[in-house]
Amino acid sequence: VVGAGGGSNDVQWCFSQVKGAIDDDVAEADIISTVEFNHSGELLATGDKGGRVVIFQQEIENKPQCRSEYNVYSTFQSHEPEFDYLKSLEIEEKINKIRWLPQKNAAQFLLSTNDKTIKLWKISERDKRPEGYNLKEEDGRYIDPNTVTALRVPVFRPMDLMVEASPRRVFANAHTYHINSISINSDHETYLSADDLRINLWHQEITDRSFNIVDIKPANMEELTEVITAAEFHPHQCNTFVYSSSKGTIRLCDMRASALCDTHSKLFEEPEDPSNRSFFSEIISSISDVKFSHNGRYMMTRDYLSVKIWDLNMESRPVETYQVHEYLRNKLCSLYENDCIFDKFECCWNGNDSVVMTGSYNNFFRMFDRGQRRDVTLEASREGSKPQQVLKPRKVCADGKRKKDEISVDSLDFNKKILHTAWHPQDNVIAVATTNNLYIFQDKVN
Amino acid sequence: MGQRDIVSYETSVRRKSRIRTASTMCRLDVDCAVKGPEQHGNALPSSRYMVGRGVKRKLNDCEDQMLDLPYPQQRQLVLDLCLDKLQSCQRRAEPSLHRSVLLANTLRQIQQEMRQEGGLHLESPPPAPATPRHSPDLPPVPSDRPSTPVAALSSSLLCEDDNDAQSTCTELPKGTGSEDGGKSQDLLFGSFEITNSTSYLTDLQLDDIFEDIDTSMYDPSDFSVLACPPPRGSSGASLGNDYNLKAFSTSSSTLQMCLNDLDHIMEILVRS
Repeated sequence: VVGAGGGSNDVQWCFSQVKGAIDDDVAEADIISTVEFNHSGELLATGDKGGRVVIFQQEIENKPQCRSEYNVYSTFQSHEPEFDYLKSLEIEEKINKIRWLPQKNAAQFLLSTNDKTIKLWKISERDKRPEGYNLKEEDGRYIDPNTVTALRVPVFRPMDLMVEASPRRVFANAHTYHINSISINSDHETYLSADDLRINLWHQEITDRSFNIVDIKPANMEELTEVITAAEFHPHQCNTFVYSSSKGTIRLCDMRASALCDTHSKLFEEPEDPSNRSFFSEIISSISDVKFSHNGRYMMTRDYLSVKIWDLNMESRPVETYQVHEYLRNKLCSLYENDCIFDKFECCWNGNDSVVMTGSYNNFFRMFDRGQRRDVTLEASREGSKPQQVLKPRKVCADGKRKKDEISVDSLDFNKKILHTAWHPQDNVIAVATTNNLYIFQDKVN
Repeated sequence: MGQRDIVSYETSVRRKSRIRTASTMCRLDVDCAVKGPEQHGNALPSSRYMVGRGVKRKLNDCEDQMLDLPYPQQRQLVLDLCLDKLQSCQRRAEPSLHRSVLLANTLRQIQQEMRQEGGLHLESPPPAPATPRHSPDLPPVPSDRPSTPVAALSSSLLCEDDNDAQSTCTELPKGTGSEDGGKSQDLLFGSFEITNSTSYLTDLQLDDIFEDIDTSMYDPSDFSVLACPPPRGSSGASLGNDYNLKAFSTSSSTLQMCLNDLDHIMEILVRS
């Protein structure tokens, strides 16, 4: 296993694969809404707006020249649209998040959630089947018992691999508002789910009860000014979790302190820069994603224009701030007008926490190497999609003096946004979701 | 999500349908779509084409024009956009509490700013009969109403089910104004209960949402101009065609607007 120690400049990212339809006319159901590697990186799950989950499996190639490819392993309909007859509104089947459980046996388990309901899915392989039943034909029909003269014990014989997905638990009716996050606890027993105003704690086995651990709903709804935007358990400390808000704050809570963690243990907030103040300051400070580092010492937050790394021991300000697309700061009014300012970008760490990645517009995505203080902008596009083709760094020109190969801000396509990205837990393999395509990039194998 | 909606689609809430779009049309977008690319001064085509159909969506010239405007006009523009979006929230197929809260906060912030300034800039009260709710020379809202008009707005967008299974959706009674004893507005919004509601949107009449917003500083002529500003020759040259400076130059008179126009505004806002 190659360690992901290289900086973003040492690594040459190459196109590996792209999944999804080619045509520009995107069916809404195919819009990818979440991407997640499992703990070994062997499996890669995507969820889409149509409520489907597609899992890809990495197949180990014997040829040393090329890396393993991800191929479809299982596809299933996780959530169906529901209809709230009282409000005459649909409950969307869009998969908001997928989280893999740590593997305990041969089967794989994942949690998938839409706005209202969380489901535990078991994905198991079947490559043998029993043959030779005493009382049944091969097609399942029962034999007339009077014709049976001998006793046969069925034996298992190999068959073509079949991957089955079955729902094992349905965690429903616990959320009034839209679920935005699920996070599995390191105790391997519980998990949390967060909606706009509340966070609930579940036991993985128990579906008819959950504990409310955070509730920020004001007694008087008119006083509501802040919502929960993301939540995550600490990777090692099973009593600790964080949640981010639309006002740009992150609260760290300790479940040992009290049953209801409305009072935070730590509050992370950076004072606003007065020179950057605008009508949209609050909107762009809203945190769209929060992720702990693998080592549990840092957490990363994504707001509209930047990525911030926080040391859990320092609440007053982040230790690192990376500008994702600062050239948009002067365009906030337009982005407000066309609603792009409300886009929720996610972010992710690489395996050894040395590089972080997040998406942008025009199918660009950005990587920031924390150690080497370098960053790179890459593009997920069909043009760069020849096998093993090295991705060329892209550059956006903010002012009028556009150099060759640069793209001016006004030429960016704000329809093409990369909201969801994922990094293999160990290797330099990344999955980048454009609107309806999943791109897989790997570092260049020499 | 409303990120990709620029042009109005049919609203479809069919259960099995895979085609779900929300109709949201910022009236400012109507302008650009109507006028077309030839109206723009520079080479870039209009950004307001259909989305998801293989056509790039780009930034428009809004930003440069906006930064040229004086601050009050910038603020007015943002305020108009805010109200527009909040209103369109009602029509969305996929409502978002997060978005509504952010919009309401922005609206509240602007209104507070305007209110603070409004008390200083008013020269003479309008001659029209003052309705109890909207007296322009009264800087803060009366204390027996929700602390900000936006509070009423935001609460009306936020509904929640209690655990009480017996509660049912209740129509919000028509607001009768602030004289009916203080906290009635709060109670009305706060008591909204919907069984197993999946959303906080209400069956509320739009009038009730907007009645508590202090619109005394809005000139209805602004709205009508912005809805379809005619293409201008020279006057539009410096700004482009999105925002006519003449519309904003009347804003100084909005502070003295006739209160008879208030109803007219309400009508436009709620499109009733």
